[in-house]
Amino acid sequence: MIKLEALTKIYDQDVRAVDKLSLTVSKGEVYGLLGPNGAGKTTTLRMILGLLPPTSGEASILGCHVSQNPLRIKKLIGLVSASAGLYQWHTPRELLHYFAIGFGMRPEDAFQRIHELSDRMGLQRFLDRRCATLSTGQAQRVNLARALVHDPPVVLLDEPTRGLDVVGAKVVIDFVQQLRSSNKAIVVCTHQLEEAERFCDRFGLLHRGRLKFEGTLEELKRETSQPSLVEIFLQLLQEDSNQPTLSAEKGGSA
Amino acid sequence: MSSHIEADNKTMDDPDSDSQNTESKTPFSIAQQMEFTIKELRETLRDRRTIITLLVMPLLLYPLLGFVLRLVAFQQNGVKIEYRLAIATDEEAKWVSEAIQFGSRFVEDANETDSQPELQVFLPEVQEDFDLEFLVAESAADLGIRVDFKGPDSSPGKNATVQLFQNEGSSRSRDAADFIETRLAAANIELIKNWARAKSSEFELPIEQTRELLQPINKGSAILVLMPLVLLLMTVTGGVYPAIDLTAGERERNTMETLMALPVPRFRLLLAKYVAVVTVTMLTGLMNLLAMSVTLYALNLDKLLLGEGGFTIVLAAKLFVALSAFALFYSAVLLLLTSSAKSFKEAQAYLIPLLLLSIAPGLAILMPGWNLEGTSAAIPLINILLLSRELLEGTVRGLPAMVAIISTVLYGVSALSLAAQIFGKDAVAIGSRGRWHDLLQRPEITSDRPSLALAVSTLALLFPLYFIFSGVLGRGESEPSFRLVLSAAMTLFLFILFPLALLIWQRISSGPGFGINITNALFFVAAILFGLATWPWVFEIIVYANGLGIRGFDPEKIKDIEVLLAQWEKLPIWLVVLCLGVVPGICEEAFFRGFLFNGLKRELNATLTILISALAFGLFHVVLSGGAAPERLLPSTLMGLLLGWLAWRSNSVIPSMILHAVHNSVLLIAVNSLDLLAEWNIGQTEQEHLPVLWLVISAGILAVGTAIVFWASRKQVSQPNSAVPETS
Repeated sequence: MIKLEALTKIYDQDVRAVDKLSLTVSKGEVYGLLGPNGAGKTTTLRMILGLLPPTSGEASILGCHVSQNPLRIKKLIGLVSASAGLYQWHTPRELLHYFAIGFGMRPEDAFQRIHELSDRMGLQRFLDRRCATLSTGQAQRVNLARALVHDPPVVLLDEPTRGLDVVGAKVVIDFVQQLRSSNKAIVVCTHQLEEAERFCDRFGLLHRGRLKFEGTLEELKRETSQPSLVEIFLQLLQEDSNQPTLSAEKGGSA
Repeated sequence: MSSHIEADNKTMDDPDSDSQNTESKTPFSIAQQMEFTIKELRETLRDRRTIITLLVMPLLLYPLLGFVLRLVAFQQNGVKIEYRLAIATDEEAKWVSEAIQFGSRFVEDANETDSQPELQVFLPEVQEDFDLEFLVAESAADLGIRVDFKGPDSSPGKNATVQLFQNEGSSRSRDAADFIETRLAAANIELIKNWARAKSSEFELPIEQTRELLQPINKGSAILVLMPLVLLLMTVTGGVYPAIDLTAGERERNTMETLMALPVPRFRLLLAKYVAVVTVTMLTGLMNLLAMSVTLYALNLDKLLLGEGGFTIVLAAKLFVALSAFALFYSAVLLLLTSSAKSFKEAQAYLIPLLLLSIAPGLAILMPGWNLEGTSAAIPLINILLLSRELLEGTVRGLPAMVAIISTVLYGVSALSLAAQIFGKDAVAIGSRGRWHDLLQRPEITSDRPSLALAVSTLALLFPLYFIFSGVLGRGESEPSFRLVLSAAMTLFLFILFPLALLIWQRISSGPGFGINITNALFFVAAILFGLATWPWVFEIIVYANGLGIRGFDPEKIKDIEVLLAQWEKLPIWLVVLCLGVVPGICEEAFFRGFLFNGLKRELNATLTILISALAFGLFHVVLSGGAAPERLLPSTLMGLLLGWLAWRSNSVIPSMILHAVHNSVLLIAVNSLDLLAEWNIGQTEQEHLPVLWLVISAGILAVGTAIVFWASRKQVSQPNSAVPETS
């Protein structure tokens, strides 16, 4: 459903934020795009969303190329970002309505959808309170509902559990499980590796813009002979620091 | 030819074929746009900080300002003035007092006892310490007077030499000296007259002089500049906070990214924000106007400042129109500046210099000699300040007022389109490039159409240029043939050469940039038919407009035009048709249905593209070298709609060029053959309508033309919304 082909982003002519990234994500699959800060995860998501034009390569969703029809692509994607804020002077109901109409829904469908989502995500208690007065967990739930308001086939999650406590993180994990069961293609960017192990089906390990390893947890463990994602990652960073910079740059993607 | 069109259609039907247009079009839904705007208004108006600027500030400011104005106004209108005179001795003081009293009887303004200054005399207590010059120099007294009596007798009425000591740095001292001098001189003349008449009863003064005091027309003009300046600045203050909040605030709250993830072109999101900012700005303007009117009325200042008419509702409404135009402009500028800011702090740093800069023109026009005319009508901010002042003074004239409003609105549109270029670009914080200086950079890649921002900014620039050029042309006393050629050259420069330079600078291929595309020859046939048949309708609309009293020219201007027409009749008809028919037809189309049309088409649908380009075309035709011609707005806009429709249908500017050139030429030939028409009893007076038969025939031709256009574009119905086909 999601297909990236040699997607590359170069900033300021020499900074390769994302380097020839190719991957595919199918329906009902949760793909964990993992990597330390600055690995190129967020840049990749933004290129998929059409917010950033790639330097070369192409991203497509359901066969529709991002660079050729960014507006159509945006309709297919729900974006969840931990850092995303809410409009302080709006109530969750008004906010969800705004986004529903923004995604091109008819008002009566939007009304129905908000009703459904608030049942599913437990928003009823604070649906008509100002967003400024919501707790972090409540705000996070509104944020998740916002991403789903137009029922997109693809959901992109950027650090969805950052800054959340255990309960908050569980809400997110449950949310991802729900999405998987409703057959959506999901990409989760995170550096919370232990959490990722719990809900991702397949992983891509991104480092300095390049995909170093890709596969299921079992495949990765077998390939690297390491017991967990954290260990695999530490090994990766270790190898990297042992190598001279130039040879690291020349190393191919896995 | 038809197979060529079909081949083009295939590429145009495919939305992916337009590689330049990265944001392909979605239908412009008004309901959706309303929802966007409501969200912005909600976010702004629920915020107490907005309400404070909106309501509380004017309520506090104007009463305060009112008291200051009252003080200044009353001072200007003559509160009793007092002159302090230093005189050394009692005798001198008595003598001076007597002489002034005597002289005052022969000074005209002495009869108005209300405005007579009071004289207060300082006499020394100890004669030795008394230093008259020092007292004046130190400003302890306004004027020193020393009287030397000629002879021993110092009684009043005796001859003496008077010496006045005036402080050079004090205007009051100068006024006091003038006051004394006038009266002593009057006394002198009267005494001489009496002496001479005693000698000879026939004596007459060689020079009799009187002085009349007149009320100045620009009474309190400093206040009349100050008032609009305060009003404008207070109005825009209302927009500052919402502008920052709705742009930089989105980033600071981390809501920009989710906003940009909406499947809506960025400029539509910005448009919603713009409408919200303009609404708040206009509400602030209205509140300020209200607070100002109430203050003027309550403190009884209206008649004092504005003369007998006082502050009427009509005047308030006119001021509100000027304020609204300014709000449209300034809100766009605010958004342009805040769109690139990443935080409140950064946005404030951009806006404070802007606000300070906005005060400067207000202070500049305090200097005498600034009037709303010519260039000043096209300078942003200054034009609206001058317009407001002239509205208050009651001296405003139609054409410059209209130019001031139209150019201000166009500058606003241009600033908004520039803001759309940078708004939301750095929603993606890393490596973002949403900064203003990018706007002036030459793009690295070539394209085949101007951007909306470039098209609209060029329109905004051309309007004042066109106005100024037309004004210069209208003043020329040169040969009629030279003027004709000059007018054609001006049209060529403004509508082709200037946009062409911009196209080259922006690496846009000039052919497609001007909309010059190959199209079906049938469109040319339709264009000729339209060109032949539209003029009777244009003529009728103008006659109707005149009948309704909509006419811009004063009788004197009409005489000038008649003289001009008479001169043209002596020129070869081909020159007139070339310079006023063909060249303007081609050049104006290259811009309005080419350059501008292409830019609009990039972001907007058919209806809006045709409508906006037609309206811009109509507005340009209101401004003529001789003055404003509001009766031309409707026919020119309607003509623009027809031309735009043809350009859209044919996907080329060439048919509309033909239509325009033919239409102009036919109209000119008709005017040139006025005598002939007169023979047929047509057009003898401007009010006379054309025969119904003519209108029926032209309607028939128009219908045939329309049918041909539909026939030619039968297979192109779905085409124009997408790309412009490549010319081979």
